[in-house]
Formats: sequence, C-alpha cells, structure tokens
Amino acid sequence: MTRRERTRSIIKFLFWAAASAGAFWYAVHFYTSGRMVHWYYYQAKADGYAVNARAFMDATPERPAALTVGEFSSLDGLQARAVKKGEVLPEHATGVISLETLAEGRRASLEGGTLTVKVPWELKQAKGFKYKDTFTHKNIKTNPLSGLWNIVMVGLIGVCLGYLAEGFTDMLGLKFKKIDHSVGH
Amino acid sequence: MFDFLIAGIQAPWFLLVFTGFTVGIVGGFIGVGGGYMVTPALIVFGFPGYMASGIDMTHIAGKGIVSTVRHRQLGNIDWVLALSMVAGTMFGVEEGIRLLGYFKHLGLSSVALLSASVCLMFTLFVYTLYETVKSHRRLAQMAEEGKALAREVTTSGLPRLFQRFPLAPIVRCRTARVVVSMWIIVLVGVVTGILAGFLGVGGGFIRVPALVYIVGCSTHIAVGTDLVEIVFSGAYGCLRHSIEGNVDFVAVMFMIVGAMFGAQFGSIATAFVRGPAIRYMLSFSLALATLGAGLPLANVLLGGKMRVLQALSVIVTLGQMIFLCLFIISLVLFAWRARRGKWVPDWVVPLLVQDAV
Repeated sequence: MTRRERTRSIIKFLFWAAASAGAFWYAVHFYTSGRMVHWYYYQAKADGYAVNARAFMDATPERPAALTVGEFSSLDGLQARAVKKGEVLPEHATGVISLETLAEGRRASLEGGTLTVKVPWELKQAKGFKYKDTFTHKNIKTNPLSGLWNIVMVGLIGVCLGYLAEGFTDMLGLKFKKIDHSVGH
Repeated sequence: MFDFLIAGIQAPWFLLVFTGFTVGIVGGFIGVGGGYMVTPALIVFGFPGYMASGIDMTHIAGKGIVSTVRHRQLGNIDWVLALSMVAGTMFGVEEGIRLLGYFKHLGLSSVALLSASVCLMFTLFVYTLYETVKSHRRLAQMAEEGKALAREVTTSGLPRLFQRFPLAPIVRCRTARVVVSMWIIVLVGVVTGILAGFLGVGGGFIRVPALVYIVGCSTHIAVGTDLVEIVFSGAYGCLRHSIEGNVDFVAVMFMIVGAMFGAQFGSIATAFVRGPAIRYMLSFSLALATLGAGLPLANVLLGGKMRVLQALSVIVTLGQMIFLCLFIISLVLFAWRARRGKWVPDWVVPLLVQDAV
C-alpha cells in the first residue's frame, strides 16, 4: 500500500466516521427530545380520551387506575384529555381510549371527571411470548412525514456505515479484489 | 435495559445489537433480509408483533445498504439486472400484501400463510440441496483431475431453458454474463415480490434461488443483486410500516449497528468461498425455516392445542441464527487455514477460495 493510498483511506474512514456519528447523534437527539415520539403519537384515530398508558401499567379490575380528565396540553401521569378524531394529541399521550370502549364499560369507564381503567397497559398472552396491547398504541395515527423521515435516516445511516466499514478495511490494507465472474461460468 | 419510548417497552439493547450482528452475517452471506428470523426474536424480547415486523423491515433496508456497499466493492452486483427487477418486485410486494388481506378477510390467513411458507421453502430446499450436492461433486472431481476450479459451478439446466425465451426486449447483463428476456426478469421480480409480500419477508430466500436457477446468474451475483432488491423492498416496507405506526427507530438503529459488523463479515466471507458453499448455506437456512414454519402450522392444524410446538418453533428460529453464523465463520476459518497449508476437512477444500485478499 502506497503512502498516498494510506492517506486517502484514512481520510475516507475519518469522513465516514464523522458522518455516521453525526447521523446517529441527530437521530438519537430527535428521539430523546420527544419530537419523534410526538410524530408517532400524532393524531387521534377515533373520538375518545388521550391517555399515557404507562401511567396505568399495573391496573386490574380489583385495583383500577383513576385518571383525572381535563384540558391538559401535556399528560403527566394519571391524566386524560378528551380528543376528537383527527385532533393532534397532547404531549406524552400514548393511546386513545375510544368512546365505544367507554360505552362498553368492561375495560374502562367514565364517571364525572374521572376515567377509570380496569386493565393494565398490555396483557401477556398465554401462548408463547406474545403481548397484546390494551390501550397503548391504540386509536392513534402517525404523522405521515415520519415514514419519509425513517426512510431517509435509515438510508443515510446505511450509506455512512457501509462506507465507514469500507474505509476501515482499506485503512488496514485489506483491499478486496473484485471477483472475476467470467471464469468458469 | 433501554427504554423504547415508541414501542413502550424496556428491552436489553445489546440483544438487539447481537441479533442485528448474527442476521447481518447470514444476510450478507446468502443475500437474505432475515425477516423470518428477526421478527420472532423481537417478539421474544418483548416487542409487540406488529412493532417487531416494522422494526425488522426498516432494519432490513439499512442492512441491505451496508451489505450492498461491500458487495459492490467485490463486484457482486449486476445493476442492470437489479434495476430491471425493481418495478416488478414492488408491484409484486403490493399484490402479495393485498392477497394476504384477502385471505385474512376469509379468516384463513394463518393456515394460508404457513402452508404457503412450508410448501415453498421445502420445495426450494430440496431442489437447492440436490443441485448443490451435484455441483459439489463436480468441483471435487475437477480438483481430483487437477483442473483449475471455477468460482461458480452449477448443474441446473433450468437457466438455459429460460434464457431461450425469445420475447423482446432482450437484456444483456454484463456483470452477470447473462442474456435474457426482460420479461423473465420482470416475472421473477413480480413472483418473488408477491411471495415476499404475502409471507411478510424481504424475499431473499426465494429471489436468490430464482436468480440462480431461472435467470442463470452465478450465486455471488445473485446474492449481491438480491441485496439491492432488498434495499428497495425494505424501504417500501419501512414506509408502509412507519405510516401504520409500527417502527421504533432507536430499536432499528441498535440493530443496524450490529448488522454493520455482521453484514461486513458475511459479505466479505463470500469472497472466500465458491458458489456451491453459499447455496449449501441457503439450503440449510431453508430447511430450518421450513421447520420453523412447519411447527406452528402443525399447531394450527391441531386446533392450537399443542402450544409447545409454537414455543419450539421460536427456539428453532433463534437457534438457526447461531447455527448458520457458526457455519459461515467455520468456512472462513477453513479458508484461512487452507491458505496457510494447515489441515482442513477434505470435503470443504473444493468449496474454498484461498486467494481472496
């Protein structure tokens, strides 16, 4: 390996390492800042009450969780906000309990300003390892832009990591030869 | 443990990295997305089924790009073939998803899905293994006669049959050294796409044998070209799943990091082996996947009373990831030992290339 080739491979490696780090930092920041989560839990798919399902992780019919209903812009623990179909969800909402579910009254009910939830946020099914969500992810619509964002980011990260790995092996002097497919085929 | 805010669960991040790594090795080597292995693994880690499927498809797109970059360096991609097939694949995937919806509407989705998987994978397994054993024998015979061993040896007569199909436009794929009707390529894309969409997988384990036995590519080209297709079908799957709200992107990132290392190893490993070695791995993978789908099918047909079969299928599926990885690592180690003149089993010698680097 000549000195020039080595320098080029080091530059290639450093460039793609920086690009990969940048892409990862941006994606993680977008996630932890809550913007991605808000894009995910974006709109209500049905009329009902937006809730943070984590707040009633362990609710049971014997020990139901009581959620206060109000005009909250951000759901903090045992809080719920009435939402119409298509309305943007409040911050930290992870599901919508629909009016039909409330009318049924089996899993949740509304009395005055209190929403009573009688089931945990997810049920472990008896067969195998499967979980069944009760209210988390339910009746929510994701921002359509998130699909585009995911594709762009996954493409960017894939390209950065692919060339980072190539730069790394080039730097080590492992230049892989192109396979000659004309021989014997 | 990592708190996945979108999936709403806590799961060990290192298991995601490890899963990405193992599936990366297998995917880079035999050109599959590995959806049939990843989805059950994610469900075991606690992700809801729909989320497991979405994360899997999105990570497949990223892993496909990582592997494609390396296969491009190794000269394993025929871009004409790949791009000719893309539209057919996308159309097929969409139709496959609709077909699945139709069976769901009839209330037959589990039986239809599992029966189709089992029949298809078993047929491919039998044919691939039969043909590969014949090719292996021919390689061994060439080695005995002291002839120079080719990178690829196939004994199937099917490609010649399909290449004779005269309908224009005829496409010349220079890297793959194949001249074939565009309609055959499109048809392969559509049919493999339908099966991929219907079975909810990337489709590599159907497309690689189709490219080898119908179009007539060498196995290395089939693997590299298929990975390009997987990028597109994975991206399409990612878009659909993202809109449905089935993707937790941080879980995808953990898997892609693992896949980066695994896919490098798997892709580079193809440079150390001849075509039949890759096809052996493909046939073993198909056999184990048949078993993985056959056990839940038996459970469904028995009226869901044998739940142990369902659990056994998860164990088989996860076990095959480890088995296939160890097999691929062994092949590379054998190639390395053979290059240094050390002992390797006689049967493996004709499958190895000793001057890859």
